[in-house]
Amino acid sequence: MGYSSALIQRKFKDIVGRRYESVLKEYGEFLLADEEMLVPEVRSILIPLDLFAHDITDEAIDILSAYDATISLAYITDAGVVELIEQTLDRASMEEFQAKKEEYGQRLLERTVAKLEEHGFSTQTRMFVGHKGDDVVQMAKNHDMVALSRRYANGESTDLSISPTVLRICQRVETPALIY
Amino acid sequence: MDTIALIAVAVFLFTYALIIDERIHRAVAAMMGAAVVVFIGIITWEGLLEHIDFGTIFLLLGMMIIVNTARGSGLFEYIAIRTAKLAKGSPIRVMILFAIVTAIVSAFLDNVTTVLLLTPMLLYVARVMNLNPIPFLVTEIFASNVGGAATLIGDPPNIMIASSAGLTFNEFLIHLGPIMVVNMVLLIGLMYLIYGRSMRVSPDERQELVRTLNGLDERAAIVDRSLFNKSVAVIAFVVLLFFIHDRIGEILHTVLPFVDPTMGLEPAEVALIGAAILLFWSRQSPEEIFEKIEWPALFFFGGLFVIVGALVETGIISSIATVMVENVGTTGEAMFIVTWFAAIASAIVDNIPLTAAMIPLIHDLGATMDVYPLWWSLALGACLGGNGTAIGASANVVVIGIAEREGIGITFIDFLKVGMLVLFLTVAVGFGILWLKFAM
Repeated sequence: MGYSSALIQRKFKDIVGRRYESVLKEYGEFLLADEEMLVPEVRSILIPLDLFAHDITDEAIDILSAYDATISLAYITDAGVVELIEQTLDRASMEEFQAKKEEYGQRLLERTVAKLEEHGFSTQTRMFVGHKGDDVVQMAKNHDMVALSRRYANGESTDLSISPTVLRICQRVETPALIY
Repeated sequence: MDTIALIAVAVFLFTYALIIDERIHRAVAAMMGAAVVVFIGIITWEGLLEHIDFGTIFLLLGMMIIVNTARGSGLFEYIAIRTAKLAKGSPIRVMILFAIVTAIVSAFLDNVTTVLLLTPMLLYVARVMNLNPIPFLVTEIFASNVGGAATLIGDPPNIMIASSAGLTFNEFLIHLGPIMVVNMVLLIGLMYLIYGRSMRVSPDERQELVRTLNGLDERAAIVDRSLFNKSVAVIAFVVLLFFIHDRIGEILHTVLPFVDPTMGLEPAEVALIGAAILLFWSRQSPEEIFEKIEWPALFFFGGLFVIVGALVETGIISSIATVMVENVGTTGEAMFIVTWFAAIASAIVDNIPLTAAMIPLIHDLGATMDVYPLWWSLALGACLGGNGTAIGASANVVVIGIAEREGIGITFIDFLKVGMLVLFLTVAVGFGILWLKFAM
């Protein structure tokens, strides 16, 4: 360090004292750090949908549009419910339930695909009977990000807290997760 | 020269050398110098109270309380984010808008706090744009010094001059305000000429900047909405009081007949009234706010006043004044000498100790000539002279110090090249206007 540089630092210390550290701390609350400025490479995003998570908010679409990624929409009919109907009623009732679910899922996927394509996203869809938590965790391994509605798999609850299934998925996935 | 006078000069020169070098804290150097002249009896207790300019110290104290209370609300961060967003992704606009905002805020609040709080935002914007931050930082320094020169409360030299010479806020606005407006236009033009070409970005980069800055929420910067509103209201009230401080009695007398119509408030009283109102209204913990007061700066000022007081008591200042009077024929010549000496010396010594030494000299010159124009010459030279070197003014040290800590080197020589150009241009323009006003 040259004389002038050392002189400036001495004067800086005497004039500013510890105030600069507190200013940096205050700015740190809302300015992005260098590593946060780097947009991670996200090529595929998984979004699970169901009866309760039937819409992707505009705010979520805004955030997702920062990435040039393909969106995979997955509609999962809960295997546990299907099994329960078969055990408590009969196979025909189960098949009727499953058909209705598939019909609803198909409509939901088509509607969501149309909305996303309006915003310039390329999309893929999947519909199957499975476990809403485990299967999403499994599928997330093949995606760069997972975006979850806070109401996904939340039953009929109207409260705005995050669904327990979503929390469990977030704890288990290794990819970044966005909750909308 | 007798021994006592020699000791006073030696203490003065040694202390100023310590202040320039800063190996010892400037406040400690000034207090030690003051201790020596008090210990050997050059300055008596009565003399000490007479030489310490409490008008300056209380004005600084009041403004420090106001600024430190307002800081806690997130006011400055809010201003910084709003300014960055207004630029709409254009680097040139970022430079110009930050220069204007820095100048305006510096004119009413202290320069150090202004640049301390705006510089991190400027660095952030430069980083997002992937541009060299030096043009932004250098422009911010100059804008802070030019803006601070425009008002009585903008820069410590002006506070010291106003307190000692009894000048009002409006006199500063009338005599220095227009000069600083012209200088700001010149400064922005000059910075554009020097740095404009290096600030071009592609439309994509511009979009990226807009997107990043739009992601910042200025409302999130406001940590205490109630304190924010109260701070803005009190700062506005204090600024209003400064405008009318010398005729407050006349105004109050119309609604409160018992108030003496000839009463005026000193600027220091205005600042302390504002500080009291903000502390009372905001219910902030006084312990926390008083802890944030820059006590070393206040003791630095106190020490300087005593050391310079020793030169006055021993007749050194009056001897210099006599020599000056014998060699100066007209007010214009005196203005020329004071302006340019203050400007060049400020760039070397730091404008605060320089002004402390020049004030008694100008008082002494008052025995034989009209010194009113010389106060403006001193204010002009001392404030704008600070632009000359990296250590010329506190704002320079703060911005360059922050830059170094963030890994951006602004060398002494690099700053000197642009700083001297700005110094000569702005002082020449200011001197020309003052000369037309007072010496023609």
